[in-house]
Amino acid sequence: MLAENTLSWQPLAQEICLPRPEDAQPPLVKPTAVSEGSESHSADRALAEACKSGSLSAYERLYQTHGAKMKSIAHNLLGNANDAEDAVQEVFLKVHRSVKYFQGQSSFSTWIYRILINSCYDMMRKKKRRQEMPELDLEPEARPEPAVTSDHAMRLALEGYVANLAPNYRKVFLLAEVEGFSHAEIAEVMETTVTSSKNMLYQAKQRLRQMLLESGRVGRVGAP
Amino acid sequence: MNVTCKNRGDILRKQEPAAMEALARHAESCAECARELHLWNAISQTARQMQKSWESPDLWPRIRQALAEQAHKLPEESRWNLARLWENFGRHWQTAAALLMLLALTASGGWLLWRGDETVPTTTQTPEAERRLLSDQAARKVEEAEAAYIRSIEELAKLAEPKLERSTSPLLASYREKLLMIDSAIAELRANIEQNRWNAHLRRELLSLYQDKQHTLETVLQER
Repeated sequence: MLAENTLSWQPLAQEICLPRPEDAQPPLVKPTAVSEGSESHSADRALAEACKSGSLSAYERLYQTHGAKMKSIAHNLLGNANDAEDAVQEVFLKVHRSVKYFQGQSSFSTWIYRILINSCYDMMRKKKRRQEMPELDLEPEARPEPAVTSDHAMRLALEGYVANLAPNYRKVFLLAEVEGFSHAEIAEVMETTVTSSKNMLYQAKQRLRQMLLESGRVGRVGAP
Repeated sequence: MNVTCKNRGDILRKQEPAAMEALARHAESCAECARELHLWNAISQTARQMQKSWESPDLWPRIRQALAEQAHKLPEESRWNLARLWENFGRHWQTAAALLMLLALTASGGWLLWRGDETVPTTTQTPEAERRLLSDQAARKVEEAEAAYIRSIEELAKLAEPKLERSTSPLLASYREKLLMIDSAIAELRANIEQNRWNAHLRRELLSLYQDKQHTLETVLQER
């Protein structure tokens, strides 16, 4: 059911246009998404301790630091803003309930993103069980969508194809390519190794490449 | 670094900057690699546009309220849990302790009556020793009740173990992780209790952890 619905995300008659070499943006220099800026390791630990103490201002700081990225990941997994916000709220409640068990074996931030991803899959499973997936995916977007770009069709197609990837490939692709997590961070979030994370990303991109080529709509491939 | 078309897959998989640069140089004179590399980079560029961002002015207030409600509810729940524990597992030792008290009172009363004026307790050691005996017996009863409860949880854990080990579901993985955290917290508390056998607070904490473990295991077993 999920596959049928996600296919509806694909543009129907529009040719998917890859960016031309002259449009090309600078190569991806991946920041460490989780620990970038002032969120150093010690700040991360301090935030965990503050959350353990139950301080609401600590949770507010957590929201300010990671809320936007959490929403984006949840949106890409769940397909709409309302569910994404519900998932983020659920994560905060879960963190509040179980932060006492957090022992600092991974960073606090990656622990939270792990909870987020698990919660999103949990929500998807529940929705699927209630057979509400069509509504979930076809529901008109209540929130403003990002601005339509020249690569809009390609983005829509890619979103549809990403939704069809196997769960682990999908997670790695979203974390690495969309959100800019390093492979070390992904390895922590997914409790795997850096090599395995790289392999999964490679496999995910191979599948996407295959799907894009098979769709027959890939145009302007900027080969010289 | 010499790169040929055959190395392309390996280089894209490992994503090492020097090798990627060498591949880009090779692609300048190889149409096939140029096409593949371009498609590869186009997927990454488009993926970055999949980041979702929207304003949610009411999300943090909603989360804050939910956190406050949960914080209020948790102690109540924990009190309720303890009450239930008391009810389920404390009933026997309460009865036993009450019977012992009754027996002790009857015995001491009988003894006093029987001895009449013949003897009057001359030291305070006897009641003290009796009190100690009663406390020891009560503690032993608590420990026996605890041991029975722990055995039943271990049985539950054995039932859930194959499901937890076999499943690749992210939800069950998160339960597995939670159970590991609970076990480690239990081990820590037990070590503390070894040092301070009479600390009622530690015992309550331990029972609450076992309760949490029981609830988690039950959820795992119910999960399809």
